[in-house]
Amino acid sequence: MHDEPRDEDLTAYALGELDGEARAAVEAVLAESADARHEVDEVRAAASRLREAFATVPHQALSPAQRAAVEAEAAREPRSRRRSWSVAATLVAGVAASLVAMATLYRPFRRDALPPVYEPVQPLIEAPATPLPPAGHALIPPATRVPSEVTARLKALGYVDRTPDGFEQDALTPRFNSLRESSARFNTEAYDHIRDNAFVLVAQDPRSTFSVDVDTASYSIVRRFLQGGQLPPKDAVRIEELVNYFPYAYEPPTGAVPFAVHMETASCPWRPAHRLVRIGIKGREVPREERPPSNLVFLIDVSGSMNEPNKLPLVKAALRLLVEQLRPEDRVAIAVYAGSEGLALPSTPATEKGTILSAIESLSPGGSTHGSAGIRLAYETAAASFIEGGVNRVILATDGDFNVGVTSPGDLVRLIETKAKSGVFLTALGFGMGNLKDATLEKLADHGNGNYAYIDTLSEARKVFVEQVGGTLVTIAKDVKLQVEFNPAKVKAFRLVGYENRVLAHQDFNDDTRDAGDIGAGHTVTALYEIVPPGVAIDVPGVDPLKYQPTTDRVRGSGSGELLTLKLRYKQPDASQSARLDVPVEDSGRSFQDASTDFRFAAAVAAFGMALRDSPYKGDANLRTIQDWAQSGLGEDEGGHRAELVALVEQARRLSPNR
Amino acid sequence: MASSTSTRLEWIGAAIDQYQGRLIRFAARITGDAESARDVVQDTFLRLCREDRDRVRDHLPAWLFRVCRNRALDVRKKEGPLRSLDDSGTSPLEEPGTDPHARLESGDDTRRVLAAIATLPAAQQEVLRLRFQEELSYKEIGAVTGHSVGSVGFLIHAGIKQLRERLGAGDPASRPEGERADA
Repeated sequence: MHDEPRDEDLTAYALGELDGEARAAVEAVLAESADARHEVDEVRAAASRLREAFATVPHQALSPAQRAAVEAEAAREPRSRRRSWSVAATLVAGVAASLVAMATLYRPFRRDALPPVYEPVQPLIEAPATPLPPAGHALIPPATRVPSEVTARLKALGYVDRTPDGFEQDALTPRFNSLRESSARFNTEAYDHIRDNAFVLVAQDPRSTFSVDVDTASYSIVRRFLQGGQLPPKDAVRIEELVNYFPYAYEPPTGAVPFAVHMETASCPWRPAHRLVRIGIKGREVPREERPPSNLVFLIDVSGSMNEPNKLPLVKAALRLLVEQLRPEDRVAIAVYAGSEGLALPSTPATEKGTILSAIESLSPGGSTHGSAGIRLAYETAAASFIEGGVNRVILATDGDFNVGVTSPGDLVRLIETKAKSGVFLTALGFGMGNLKDATLEKLADHGNGNYAYIDTLSEARKVFVEQVGGTLVTIAKDVKLQVEFNPAKVKAFRLVGYENRVLAHQDFNDDTRDAGDIGAGHTVTALYEIVPPGVAIDVPGVDPLKYQPTTDRVRGSGSGELLTLKLRYKQPDASQSARLDVPVEDSGRSFQDASTDFRFAAAVAAFGMALRDSPYKGDANLRTIQDWAQSGLGEDEGGHRAELVALVEQARRLSPNR
Repeated sequence: MASSTSTRLEWIGAAIDQYQGRLIRFAARITGDAESARDVVQDTFLRLCREDRDRVRDHLPAWLFRVCRNRALDVRKKEGPLRSLDDSGTSPLEEPGTDPHARLESGDDTRRVLAAIATLPAAQQEVLRLRFQEELSYKEIGAVTGHSVGSVGFLIHAGIKQLRERLGAGDPASRPEGERADA
């Protein structure tokens, strides 16, 4: 009839784990065997002793801050949660491919460790064999070596339906497949939702106000996705950061104003009836020998999540590059944070390069992230060795996964805002992938008088720390705000392309307490407005025409021929009062083909961003035409950055044959 | 939207209430310290927040312990084992500083049992804890650890058998001497 149940089946029976045939088989045995009944009782007795003993181990709870952080996450809009899943889904395949692509760029960092993109069951690491208690007891063979005849008998009982190691073929497969799939969403990259700026009727509101942005992180992130064989998630595409990634040949200022403004107008390539206005700002260059002395504090995230080839090793390589750029009067300190924060290197003059380099070398990962304590320590260190009139800057390198302590972005932003008032500037450097908190880092940089770059390769580190080191370190103007006033006689409607999360209320323009973006030495900032001229039909949904408005022919100043006036407010890096600059501009009437190469290239990059975002405003732009526009705007292309964009457009075309 | 958010908050809150203590205790066995165990468990719940409730509802304990276990093993791997699972048998959550074999001599049954458990192979200790401390079924334990259900059964059986051998007669109340005669 049945094989006689083995001891382990009696145990399972005693613990209520058997049913059906297996249970019946054991019961048949129990009916006949006093020894078997005794065995079952013994198991139950042992089980209750175990339960009693285990019950004495005390429970602990999460700290109130930890619990609050979880609840804040639970309270987030469900839509934003779902969005991060789809990011995860597109990433899974991309991660491997991009790592391989990157490996050629910085082979020394390559390891075979991939980020855990799904949640496999990890083997428990077996500790060395335990010494036996008083001799005389035979040890049962370790479970990993379950004899095959045992397995066979268990199978015969219907108790096991597969080999001990085969998790996949479990009878529970449907249920745990779903568990595995849901676990596959554990990629936690977070991008804030962006909604494209809409057209605004000048008759409704003739002004547009926004803060400059010199961040470039979005471009590197987009590149990482495309090179990894995936289209980027829409919300990772911030058009202004794409456009501003590229240097433009704007003339530097000659007078006292720390930057020069260059405006250009031509027809809009993706909607030829519209006009495109480019605002170009060029910060004063500061040659290396004129750079003020620097007091730098590196704040390095050494938490466990940084232990990946494209994180901490790349951070170290990037810092080595920067240290090479320093001059004898500069100083460097290194603060680290993980489970606890600490100073890895007190403020040290750059002349002691060996000390600095070996401190960088000795950074090693471990612990969970406690960002806020580290940020406090870094700012205190910077304040302690503050250089009047010099560059005082905290350089934060992290994947942004602040998951201990102050974790709500709001609290962190407030902390940074307070610290920024001390005159210490911030550079946020994002590293790695998988749990990059893009939105958190961008906000920190915005509120901390700072800039934000995403470093995915050594060549990107070289761009930030070598090619543009002046711009990265030296701020030449802070809280730079732009307000554009359109002439209703020349402009029916306008749309700011990109800068969605930089838009300011009009009244903030003259409010010097309102923080805005900073411009570094030699930085260029480019903004584009798409303009609908009078007489061109435009449908702005949801907005009724105003009833009580002066007719346009009576508007003061409208006959001037000016298209718009750009008003610009900025502060000197150590000032608290702003200065103002007004720049009127007329439309040259140029066609796109006659525009400068810089204009054509910037327009191509913006259109590429719109295509990747599948923006409702992309008009006739498609990847093929965008590639042509970019090609026509290559110019001299020092450093080959523009050629790289053309290649990325090509790659996006391969990935999306329908676009 | 607001109501689904508040329901979600309640659900997460209830899950924290029900499982935080058990998960921290479990994670501390792996990481070796209560602080990092708390971090691991916070992480586990953060992940739960991003999970579709319908997908995990039916196997929540298994899901939580599995994610928690993986995360804790990650932490241990990165930070280096502060203390391996059975090198001393003590975790900071238990009374520290006593040698497990010395504790075997103690008269207190609880201590004797805990000390005896500490001498078992790590894999056996783990399944015993999941079964008798966390009250997971064999199937759930299999899902958490990646062992087959059969292996779980074998590990538990072997673990209990060794404990019985090591503890001998033990506490008379839980192991009446007259039992065999009755059978």
